[in-house]
Amino acid sequence: MKILIVDDSSTMRRIIGNVVMQLGFSRDDFDEAEDGVKAWKILSETQYDIILTDWNMPNMNGLELVQKVRAGGNHQKVPIIMITTEGGKGEVITALKAGVNNYIVKPFSADILKEKLDGVLKR
Amino acid sequence: MSMSQEEIEALMSGLDIPEDEETATEEEVPAVSDENETMSEDDIADLIAQTDIPSEEVEDVPSETITDESIDEIISSIDENQDNEDLGSENIEDILAGIDGIDASEPESVPEPTPVPEPTPKPKPKPKPEPVAPSAPTQSQVDSEAIAKDWTDNQINQGVFPFPVEKNTKVVNQLSEVATDSEEKASKIFDVLSFILDENNDIQKNSKALDDFVSKQIVLLDSLSKKFPSISAFDANLKLAQSLQDLPKDIISRTDAENTKLFEAMELMQFHDINRQKIERVMAVIKKLSTYLNNLFEDDTEYHDVSVAKHIHGDTGNNLVDEQDLDALIAEFGN
Repeated sequence: MKILIVDDSSTMRRIIGNVVMQLGFSRDDFDEAEDGVKAWKILSETQYDIILTDWNMPNMNGLELVQKVRAGGNHQKVPIIMITTEGGKGEVITALKAGVNNYIVKPFSADILKEKLDGVLKR
Repeated sequence: MSMSQEEIEALMSGLDIPEDEETATEEEVPAVSDENETMSEDDIADLIAQTDIPSEEVEDVPSETITDESIDEIISSIDENQDNEDLGSENIEDILAGIDGIDASEPESVPEPTPVPEPTPKPKPKPKPEPVAPSAPTQSQVDSEAIAKDWTDNQINQGVFPFPVEKNTKVVNQLSEVATDSEEKASKIFDVLSFILDENNDIQKNSKALDDFVSKQIVLLDSLSKKFPSISAFDANLKLAQSLQDLPKDIISRTDAENTKLFEAMELMQFHDINRQKIERVMAVIKKLSTYLNNLFEDDTEYHDVSVAKHIHGDTGNNLVDEQDLDALIAEFGN
């Protein structure tokens, strides 16, 4: 199981990574990218089973990344969870329409992430 | 409008998105722009509050003090006050040489016309305002600048004037530094927490090994003490091992509790990212506001600065001359 964590905050990437490790994954099970551009490059090189992405990032934001992933390629059907501070109803709808499978508003607990990860992986 | 996790869940379970939903049409617009309206009002209010000089302090400071001309006047008046006690014809000469027009003189500082033994003042043609040529500053100019600088520094220290516009005092620069610095420090704090977590995991591994060893020792010592009851050392060590049996378990339990707290602390560090984004939103508002204000105050006309009157009839202040002062001054100079 390979997970890609995309967030411009190194602290957030580490927090998410820690939570992922609490869920039983090892450090080798996930990679990190600091924006959509780098994430897209990594996605073209390695196959991942799930993508966890932030929304507001420089260069290419999370929404653009989701749209690009869903537009075609190896990860078109890969589950995507958006983890972001954007807590507005309009933004959630926009993200879901773009193709994210689940949505987490920061701050979140390890239990919430576990629950959502389980949910998308069961599909 | 923020959504709770439950609301998101509700959305996830049965997403019924109306086609005419206003927000749904804005697919690529990040929420920052949607929320800017509300945020910007607050932020603008904050900004205005930050840039406003407190009213108590303003009352103490005449409004004209913030202009360079006013500073020159104050400096001139200080010079005059110092010389007031012995204002002879030579001093008048000096003052005339130093001032650029009659308006800088202070009525109170002008002495009663005294008989001058030898009327030395010569009629001096009023100097025409000429473009300032770059020339070496005179001693009096240097003194004036030093006094002005001291006065300005004093006002800044008292909080009346804001800090001069420099890289370190620009609002957006400062906020950017805060965001960057706090990101670095948060990363270091995370390093510390990770280090403690790793250490705790090592301690737990060692404690488990210790627990296994103590358990085996207890079994061994138990059989030895039963086989050799006459040897008291076996029995004594058995009791000691039994008393230590719970220690590794206690260490594992405590480090587990510590790890839970560390994970909690790590989760709480999400607020660093949230706060950073709030700072970035404020920065965006300030930048937009700055652009807007620049455009608002921009002057497209061919306007050149004109000299403005320093004292106009009707102004309040003690620098204005009345008819009597005027006559006295004219008489004194004998023109």
